[in-house]
Amino acid sequence: MSKQIAVKVDDLTVAYNYKPVLWDIDLEIPEGVLMAIVGPNGAGKSTLIKSILGILKPIAGSVSIYNKPYEDQRQLVAYVPQKGSVDWDFPTTALDVVMMGTYGSLGWIKRPGQKQKKAALEALEKVGMLPFKGRQISQLSGGQQQRIFLARALVQNASIYFMDEPFQGVDATTEIAIINILKELRKAGKTVIVVHHDLQTVPEYFDWVTFLNVKKIATGPVKDIFNDDNLTKTYGINYKVSIQE
Amino acid sequence: MTSAQFEIQLIASLVAIACAIPGTFLVLRKMAMISDAISHSILPGIVIGFFITQDLNSPLLIILAALTGILTVVLVEYIQKTGLVKEDTAIGLVFPALFSIGVIMIAKNANDVHLDVDAVLLGELAFAPFDRLLISGVDVGPKSLWIIGSILLITIGLLFAFFKELKVSTFDAGLAASLGFSPVVLHYGLMTVSSITTVGAFDAVGAILVVALMIAPAATAYLLTNELKRMLIFAICFGVFSAISGYWVAHWLDASIAGSITTMLGLLFLGVYLFAPNKGIIAVMYREKQQRTEVSLLTFLLHLKSHTEERERHVNHLNEHINWQKVRSKTVLDLALKNNMIQLNKNIVSLTEKGEDFTSKAIDYIITNEDAQIEDMKDDFFLFRG
Repeated sequence: MSKQIAVKVDDLTVAYNYKPVLWDIDLEIPEGVLMAIVGPNGAGKSTLIKSILGILKPIAGSVSIYNKPYEDQRQLVAYVPQKGSVDWDFPTTALDVVMMGTYGSLGWIKRPGQKQKKAALEALEKVGMLPFKGRQISQLSGGQQQRIFLARALVQNASIYFMDEPFQGVDATTEIAIINILKELRKAGKTVIVVHHDLQTVPEYFDWVTFLNVKKIATGPVKDIFNDDNLTKTYGINYKVSIQE
Repeated sequence: MTSAQFEIQLIASLVAIACAIPGTFLVLRKMAMISDAISHSILPGIVIGFFITQDLNSPLLIILAALTGILTVVLVEYIQKTGLVKEDTAIGLVFPALFSIGVIMIAKNANDVHLDVDAVLLGELAFAPFDRLLISGVDVGPKSLWIIGSILLITIGLLFAFFKELKVSTFDAGLAASLGFSPVVLHYGLMTVSSITTVGAFDAVGAILVVALMIAPAATAYLLTNELKRMLIFAICFGVFSAISGYWVAHWLDASIAGSITTMLGLLFLGVYLFAPNKGIIAVMYREKQQRTEVSLLTFLLHLKSHTEERERHVNHLNEHINWQKVRSKTVLDLALKNNMIQLNKNIVSLTEKGEDFTSKAIDYIITNEDAQIEDMKDDFFLFRG
């Protein structure tokens, strides 16, 4: 494949209180893939994303987005944190949360205006949440909250999307709605990287996968590397999955 | 009203506004106790500044005290980061230590000045008008008015400039970081403003009231609104209201102004806590009662829907069968009748068309959890409001 590399991670090591949670990660994510990051609890999946996005400072290694440091490429990247990482009782509305996605392109001090509002409304429409735009966010169901987060990422109009467990605690309908939007993003040439838990759905949802457990076990196209061998290496127990062709 | 009275109320109101703004963000960041820590631990900063300048209103004093405030936050975070103790414990360790250093310094060296522990805890708002600012011999007003006025102007300026940054980093620090709005910078910015405000308000209202003015108005406003801007405005209004009404309460009772203002804040919170339209205790209790009745109603309608035989639909049977007490079944029966969901015929109950329709929609909702088709029912029934 002669595709461009969207995200490149070199020798990345991240530690909490001197205990490494990610060890010497090398990773190249080609442009236009829909990639799952899988691994057991505590494997460092969220940490990997947060380190790429500069939210956590690694103790060694570097990250580049289209061959430049993240700080220069923020505009190209959108991030959907874990739903549980924010306080949903915060006094704000669905529309306002989606508007936050536009803050990055505005930069410091400048305030959002009509243009940003219009973009936010379009994103809400895309995730089917337009009727709830004025709803206080604690009054939304778990699936609706996740859609709001997705809309907030869409409004950033990025090239690369990082999502931390977007399917956590959502019902089947929302899961399908979300994955359809992710597939649309890929079709539009975007790169989508998702921390994912449900191994059963990996072959169905994703075309690229990274196995992670403190170290990187394997990365590549799902059809080539999503097998019992890598699953066993990652999860430490004998794993048997049947992949439907 | 004399001009001194007016000046006291003006100072108290400006202090209230200056406190309510950072206080709102502290409450939303679950950092209310940090303001308590700052307000106490700035004491050594004030004392050292006072030793150097011999002037309670010197800008150096404010800077030193604000630095001690930042030091408090840094120490708390450092202790917390070791992972050995939790945040509340770290706060409990840091501020009494710094405060007691300040108390000892006052006792050893400053016994003869008006910087005493009582003044530190409760402030001397009543004396504020006597300490005038003279510019080339001309009296331009009380010094504390100028100090808190300048601090308030800076705070408002910063709020307008960085409102969206503060909002996003308070709501979602991870997103803020990924967008390039450093949560660390914003955190310490907020801490600096809180420290400076505390110092500026300290001389007028003391360490205890500063905390009350930061936290109580914001907590009260939080119960009344779902929008950050409105929460800020409400908090400011509550602060000013308590400042002015507290002053007059103190005037009539001949009591401490600081104490009366704090009492008003407490009463205001209590009132809102009880009577707030959505989050208030009474509203919540009413809603829960309604929901219980509505669940019963639904159970009742479901029973009617699934039983066609008359025996099962006799009023008396319903009492036994669904196992309700008389009172409850009467409430439910009345509610169903009032909404035209059932009809009674010789004590035999049957669903009307509306009742049938309502029941199937409700079942659909409970099974699929999709609320698109029940939007119109939400106005009448709490049950469907999630």
